[in-house]
Amino acid sequence: MEKVKTKRRFSPWMVLVYALLSAWAVTTLYPLLWVLMNSFKLRGRIVSNSFSLPVGDLFTLDNYTKAFSKLNVWGAYRNSLVISISVVVVVILLAGLCAYALVRYQFKGKAFLQSLVIAAMMFPVFSTIIPVFRMMLSWKIVNTDSLWLSLLSTALPQIAGNLSFAIVVLSGYIRSLPIDLEEAAYLEGCSVFQIFFKVVVPLTKPSFATVGIFCFLWSYNDLFTQMFTLRNSDQWAITRLLNEISSQEGTDYGLLAAAVTIVIVPVIIIYFCLQKYIIKGMTAGAIKG
Amino acid sequence: MGSMIYKNKKPLLIFLIPAFAFMVVFLYYPFFLNIWNSFHVIKGLGQSAKGWNDPWYSNYLKIFTDPKMRTAMVNTLWMMLATLIGQVGIALLLAMMVDNIKRGAKLFRVLYFLPIVISATALALLFNLIFLYDTGMLNQIRMAFGANELLDFKKGSLAVLTMIIPVTWQYVGFYFIILVTGLNNISPDIYEAASIDGATKLQRVRFITLPLLHNVICTCITLAITGALKVFDLPYTMFPNGMPNNKTWLTGTYMYYQTISTKDVDYGSAIALVIVVLGVVLSQIANHALKEKDY
Amino acid sequence: MKRKGLALTMAMAMGVSMLAGCGSTPADATTAAPATSPKTEAATTKAGNDSTTEAPTEGQTSALTPVKLSVFSTYAGNDANARLFQDAYKAWEKKTGSTVYDSSAISDETVKARVTADFESGAEPDVLMYFTGADADSFLDKLVPVSEIQKAYPEYASNMDMTKVPASSDGNHYGVPVNGYWEGLFVNTKLLKDAGVDVPDENTTWEEFIKDCETLKEKGITPISASLATEIHYWFEFCIFNHRDVQTQNVIPSPDNKDDYLPLVEGITDMKEMYEKGLFPENTLSMDGKEAKQLFIDGKAAFYCDGNWAAQSIFEGAENPEDFTVTYVPGEGNRKSTDIIAGMSSGYMITRKAWEDPEIREAAVDFVMSMTTDDVVAKFAGVSTDALKTPAKIDKSQYNALQLSGKDMASKATGLALALQDGIPTEARVPVFDNMAAIVSGEVTPEEAVVEMLTLVAESKTE
Repeated sequence: MEKVKTKRRFSPWMVLVYALLSAWAVTTLYPLLWVLMNSFKLRGRIVSNSFSLPVGDLFTLDNYTKAFSKLNVWGAYRNSLVISISVVVVVILLAGLCAYALVRYQFKGKAFLQSLVIAAMMFPVFSTIIPVFRMMLSWKIVNTDSLWLSLLSTALPQIAGNLSFAIVVLSGYIRSLPIDLEEAAYLEGCSVFQIFFKVVVPLTKPSFATVGIFCFLWSYNDLFTQMFTLRNSDQWAITRLLNEISSQEGTDYGLLAAAVTIVIVPVIIIYFCLQKYIIKGMTAGAIKG
Repeated sequence: MGSMIYKNKKPLLIFLIPAFAFMVVFLYYPFFLNIWNSFHVIKGLGQSAKGWNDPWYSNYLKIFTDPKMRTAMVNTLWMMLATLIGQVGIALLLAMMVDNIKRGAKLFRVLYFLPIVISATALALLFNLIFLYDTGMLNQIRMAFGANELLDFKKGSLAVLTMIIPVTWQYVGFYFIILVTGLNNISPDIYEAASIDGATKLQRVRFITLPLLHNVICTCITLAITGALKVFDLPYTMFPNGMPNNKTWLTGTYMYYQTISTKDVDYGSAIALVIVVLGVVLSQIANHALKEKDY
Repeated sequence: MKRKGLALTMAMAMGVSMLAGCGSTPADATTAAPATSPKTEAATTKAGNDSTTEAPTEGQTSALTPVKLSVFSTYAGNDANARLFQDAYKAWEKKTGSTVYDSSAISDETVKARVTADFESGAEPDVLMYFTGADADSFLDKLVPVSEIQKAYPEYASNMDMTKVPASSDGNHYGVPVNGYWEGLFVNTKLLKDAGVDVPDENTTWEEFIKDCETLKEKGITPISASLATEIHYWFEFCIFNHRDVQTQNVIPSPDNKDDYLPLVEGITDMKEMYEKGLFPENTLSMDGKEAKQLFIDGKAAFYCDGNWAAQSIFEGAENPEDFTVTYVPGEGNRKSTDIIAGMSSGYMITRKAWEDPEIREAAVDFVMSMTTDDVVAKFAGVSTDALKTPAKIDKSQYNALQLSGKDMASKATGLALALQDGIPTEARVPVFDNMAAIVSGEVTPEEAVVEMLTLVAESKTE
């Protein structure tokens, strides 16, 4: 293979391949740069001249000033972080424990439980949100004025929704661990819980990281649940806020571009820092699922 | 796994109960309740059921006669086809190309996956700007190339395409990564042997790559089918109220609309159940069809 | 910190309310009122008797027990009234030491569904500034009628002439109104001038208007900016109004009586004809209401129909605001052009839940009274209308030319009719409002849509 590749390095075929690959890369990158660029232009300039760089006369910070002064961006960031981090922590912990038990223990009904986990991946949030919402209404944790309760009510369904994915991915990793290490720890007198936290978790850290990152992204970007559970402006998470901007200021394209930028910049930073885990975990999860 | 450690089953409960409790309370119980709800009269999110529907299965009759629901189903099927051919297809091509290059493979992976981490709401606003009638990115390009009239990308005949393209585009990278990993797992020796035997590039793809990727492609197809049924944020933001003229409904957005705007909560529940059933049935069919195919 | 404080307040409130709960009868509450709130008395007497008023006395603290009052209003977002609302309740917070938990949101279908769900689940706010029409029908029993409040607090809403305010569907008044609304025709005078078309006035007929639109169309100008996908209700109102009159406009006809509902069908058929003549923007079916407004602001369409709330954003958004004005939507038949859609459709309401808690009741009543003094109402009503016994004095310097021209238009109106849509519950509007595109493109006849809508209205009434 290597030889084949080297030989063909400058062939027209390779040029074509690189051209096609780069073309697709442009489609994924350029729209983001375009919106970033336009977030520094006023509305009128965007609809007349969206391709030039925002320099000189074109450049303005008005959109950002407006976004930050009008919208509670920081509050929304805080809410998003509270929700998404709690989702990540709970999912990782519960799914880790569950996956570990499902892999290592032999017991009656194991196959049934495993199929329950897989089946849960088939339920789109649409099919559960109404009863969940009504249930949480009866618990008085949605439609309240309390910020923390409403964040909780957003996190709960998201945790449940991410659990099965996390269990499936983590099971795959844990299964691939050689059991000898656990046995050694057992001989040294560790309890099962100690084995889990001191042997299994450290060894599968990258997969936990992957699962965590995915749960974070899905929770951060999940508009549907937020539409149901976050009602007051002080409770809005960042995606909900973005939705509100679009429905209220839908024609202030400069402000929209700035808002989009504000929302995606943190995600992109996280992505570039952690892309190794993200891509790795994705493949593991998908193939084993 | 006969290890001594795991003979004592007591800790098992502590391991399993929290996770399953969550799933039972927030997934299984609501799922079955949802089925029950779909047979009852519920006229508001906070209202209790006012008895059975008349006849009790009336919502399911309605699903088959409601023209908007038909649009939603047809669009969702288009969306599925687009995810299958567009996403998985493009992803497969890209993956095979990336597998053939030496430099930059990692960069392409990172860039291709990028759209997936961005919220669909943000992308919807971005695409609203791109498709804007007067005058977004595309119409500006068209004008620059001498077009005289603005093109309405959201008009009836184009709307569904305008809705499908961003969704497809966003998730190509997802399948790309899966497929590229699958390709990495194919040993280079097989290709080498084949090329020594005089197989052309196309033959290698047809007789080695595709058969060996079979399982991965099956996974992708299941994911694409269930994924297409879950699309919500992007169409919801770009095409409010099924605009234009109720042409852009998807099962997900239509379910939300029935639940919130028309307050027909029980009908929304029935649609939700149909979404699940569609997902299960179609992915089974797809998997069966692929399994029987002999490479 | 904040949480602790909150918990403490709640604990206090609970303790007090439990004490008060022992012998709580309406009489008890009335006798308690003067004792706990001399300020309330003072404030209302002032509001009631001396409508020209001094500014609210700063720094004076009330003897009311500070509470946390949860308030919902439709004053939110970019609306000028949103700022006024926040200023006004902050002043009240300062005065009383209470806090307002403000969950205001711009009303749309999701928000309306939320308000209804709040009532269904017992999570309703203490006070809400909301529509008194069909939107409140499902929870009227959870609101306290103004007359009942007045029995305990005679000064409540005493500065309002409630005969100017339409009652809710059970005949009671629940809301204390602040500002009314009018709907009118915004005009880009420059486009008309360039095309040689006169600005419509009180004498322009519908026929002439349509002819003018066609002239504009021939000259390559989009005559009317409107979205038939999301915000059709302005043209819906006026087109139907043209087949009814001031007395009958907001009567909901029966779906079984063709003569009754025919005007609705005719009105919607007019809209269909306008669409067929190409008087709406090229992409009217695939644009939303915001885009339609923007198109008009950008000077790319000659006419735009909207309410008084649009006057500010159009004026501020336009490059040359002096090119814009407001006039009457031309009429036909029994409707004179100067008969407009206007009135009072919302007001401050106190919920039964708040009313039954003596502490909250005091605060809620005081809150509504201070939000509806002549002064405050004058600010809110501004260029729209109000229901004050002594008409509000408007400080004209506060308003832009467009708002004033709207005020002028509204004040010279010969007849005011309430919007027909206010009597139609949101979910019943669907067959017409969300199906306009299907109607204009001939997939559904106007009659089918109207009958379906009216059937839904009738069904919601029987529930």
